[in-house]
Amino acid sequence: MKRHDAIIVGGGHNGLTCAAYLARAGKKVLVLERRERIGGAAFSDEVFPGFRFSVFSYVVSLLRPEIIRELELARHGLQILPLESTLTPLANGDRLVQWSDHDQNRAELARHSPRDAEAYDEFGVLLHRMARAVKPLLRMAPPDPASLHPAELLDMLRVGRYFRELPQKDLHALWKLLTMSAADYLDEWFESEALKGTKSASGIIGTLLGPRSPGTAYVLLHHYIGELAGVFRAWGFAKGGNGSVSAAIAAAAQAHGVEIRTNASVSRIQVKSGRAASVVLENGDELVAGTIVSGADPRRTFLGLVREENLPEDFAAAIKRYKFRGASAKVNLALGELPRFTCLPEPGPHMRGAISISPSVDYLERAYDQAKYGEFSKRPYMDIVMPSMLDPSMAPPGKHVMSIFVQYAPYHLNGGWTDEKREAFGDTVVNTLAEYAPNLKSAILHRQVVTPADIERIVGLSEGNIFQGELSLQQMFFLRPAPAWARYRTPIHGLFQCGSGTHPGGGVMGASGRNAAMEILGVRA
Amino acid sequence: MSEVVVLGAGPDELVAARVLQQAGRRVIVVQEHAVPERVVGWAPAQIGRLEATRPDPWLRTADGVELFADVKRSAKSLGPRDAERWPQFCDRMARLAALLQEIYLQPPPSLIDMRFALKVRRLGRAGMEDLMRLLPMPAAELLDEWFESHTLKGALCALAVRDIQQGPRSAGTAFRLLHSHLGSPRGVFRPATVNVAPLRSGLTIRESPVARIDVSAGAVTGVTLASGETLSATLVVAGADPARVLGELVEPGWLDPDLLRATRHVRSRGVAARVRLELDRAPEWPTLTLAGTADDVERAYDAVKYGRVSDRLIIDAVADGPAVDVHVQYLPHTAVDTADIQARVVKQLQSHLPAIRSSTVESPVDLERIYGWPEGQPHHAELSLDQALWMRPLPELSGYRTPLRGLWLCGPAMHPGAGVIGAAGHNCARAMLGSP
Repeated sequence: MKRHDAIIVGGGHNGLTCAAYLARAGKKVLVLERRERIGGAAFSDEVFPGFRFSVFSYVVSLLRPEIIRELELARHGLQILPLESTLTPLANGDRLVQWSDHDQNRAELARHSPRDAEAYDEFGVLLHRMARAVKPLLRMAPPDPASLHPAELLDMLRVGRYFRELPQKDLHALWKLLTMSAADYLDEWFESEALKGTKSASGIIGTLLGPRSPGTAYVLLHHYIGELAGVFRAWGFAKGGNGSVSAAIAAAAQAHGVEIRTNASVSRIQVKSGRAASVVLENGDELVAGTIVSGADPRRTFLGLVREENLPEDFAAAIKRYKFRGASAKVNLALGELPRFTCLPEPGPHMRGAISISPSVDYLERAYDQAKYGEFSKRPYMDIVMPSMLDPSMAPPGKHVMSIFVQYAPYHLNGGWTDEKREAFGDTVVNTLAEYAPNLKSAILHRQVVTPADIERIVGLSEGNIFQGELSLQQMFFLRPAPAWARYRTPIHGLFQCGSGTHPGGGVMGASGRNAAMEILGVRA
Repeated sequence: MSEVVVLGAGPDELVAARVLQQAGRRVIVVQEHAVPERVVGWAPAQIGRLEATRPDPWLRTADGVELFADVKRSAKSLGPRDAERWPQFCDRMARLAALLQEIYLQPPPSLIDMRFALKVRRLGRAGMEDLMRLLPMPAAELLDEWFESHTLKGALCALAVRDIQQGPRSAGTAFRLLHSHLGSPRGVFRPATVNVAPLRSGLTIRESPVARIDVSAGAVTGVTLASGETLSATLVVAGADPARVLGELVEPGWLDPDLLRATRHVRSRGVAARVRLELDRAPEWPTLTLAGTADDVERAYDAVKYGRVSDRLIIDAVADGPAVDVHVQYLPHTAVDTADIQARVVKQLQSHLPAIRSSTVESPVDLERIYGWPEGQPHHAELSLDQALWMRPLPELSGYRTPLRGLWLCGPAMHPGAGVIGAAGHNCARAMLGSP
């Protein structure tokens, strides 16, 4: 039996990040991935001959710059192509385009509302400042405010001092962002429906909440935390698809000596007298390591890999009530020609950016209303990118791939997801989009529909939640995934967590993986 | 010349006036709007002894859930699992309510306040975790964690969303449920009906509309009534909502436009109408809640998001002999069709009532006109997490003080406001007198 210092269960981007940091510190690390390829939900595949897709997650913005730097991801093949614009087509044939170029953006906004054009910069400055205030928190293991342990108290004081040093005004602005709905928050700033619709859409991603649900304003901030090459608010697309992010992290990990084993499905984590002793594979192999780190979500980790009887009762109860409620789906299209949007029919720079079907807050809220009661949205919100416009290697010459992120497709669909319902949902998405781009239907060569049930089945994310658990207030910071156990540790000695189900969670960020590694290594942020 | 002019004669203004008068100030109260004699809420002992009544059972649904002040007796109408959990739930909520009660009787803590943090720590690990989880939770989710009965959960949700434009699936409504528990015995989540009329005694009250608050050199000099008469004062305490006081009563130019803009963004959407029915005889129940399930309450909320009256209104009736007060939610604050509201309330309640002799309906528009409640919102500022504690109604105004010397705010929009009767007035007056 070969002995490792650490075994990482799950080769998603967080598991790989954690492995890379542990190996960089000299540990002997083994990563076990159930599927035949690594990457988890950050995964590219040639789904149809000649057409490559980022099957699940599809943009890069939150990947922590320190990870890109410290793991030298650029050297390991990561190349990010920025998305320059967001086009919101409107039902009346008009559109709103948000450009990364300041003056162009301002002129376009002013066309809809001169007042909004004025407010936009001030809004950006405020959110930028808030994002800066939050960023140090992304890098730290959340302290436990109820603990009396001196180290925890010290950390709590540090957090307290950090906040006390922020200007009062910023603190209050932050509180508003945490507690308000995206719609209410934006109402204080803007009047244009298309702008408010598109901005509030970023608040609902990955959650079963609507733009009028309190707590959604916070996620607006995520768009300002995203930082590519030092430029705030930049979103990008990884050359070769989001699988390239995982591939680059894996290459960095391997360069530090990490061993990655695919087709290695873990059936359980053995616990002996309160200690994680070994990992048992489905083929019966048992692997021993001093440290076992799970990149799987909290439900799979604690109620699947570890048996409930090994857990304290209140911890098991907390994990059981931890909410997933996946509500996001993907539709991937192989296109014979570019779609022609009625509002901007000619090919142009807008085709290299994102396209957002979010004409108003009410549109999104109605989409949510249907999902609340267990139906998929009849007119859903969509966030669309065409990677082949930025990276021609994704599709055969002259042809294109279109990635459509869709909400809401609730995991708990009335009657459950079936093949018919999946296709009906795919039809709904295509029909809705065809209202804005009439040639779409005839341009489609192939279509892949991925529902939350599919995400759960293929990637293993419980209830298909793309963030390994909803990013709602009662599941954030020191409450993620459970009170007292937010520091990547678990009630079982030697077992750690490093997935998005821990702070700060969500998005292809890598922060959970890095923070977990630091905690295991005993390095304080 | 009087030293202090108190604008408004709601319970908060009257309590502020009394505290100031007791401290030896000469006080005159100017009443602009009608004031209800009976108010639903918690009257803390500090503001004086007021007669409070509450129905027992305090909650009753059409299909037989009956909850009493006697926790054991409540269990009888619940299924075995819910019956077992009800007392535990009541204990947990009572412990958290005790902390809120304590902080409501003082000016709001600041967001980073070590003494506040210590108070929270005193709850112990379980209590702290409860509090941190509970405050941002939706009421529907909290109740789903505890109970099975859909009617029980629906009726409690109806209490949790009372007077806010949010549904039971909205974050922060569990906090609202806790809030409606304040001042009540363990196991009761309905605030009492309090007779606030005695608060008027011993005060000089003038009835008159107000034209403006006079300001000179950044300090108040008095109040000008609509008749043109001027009351000079060095202190003015106003109970109206901040947007009206600072934006309408103070002459333009004295205040920072950013602050004025912020006051206009304080959310104060009325969502309910009040109906009073006079019956042939007293009904067989002291209270009746027609809410359905949590999903029914949520669906009723959906309508108002788009400016429509709910197809199925949430009805909460409390009987006082043959008179019945009905709280009807959700209606948009622009709803004016009182005949329609009345017809729908009668239709939904009919089978539960003796013959109706007469009825009066106050729509949100009426409530604004009669009582001066902005958009018909009795709390002046909806009690949501972003408008509570240190944020109420705005962080800049949370200490009751305004940027104009001598001008103070004491109305329901101030901390704690929202159904804690007179506490904002009490806290404000104490702050004016310089005592904590």
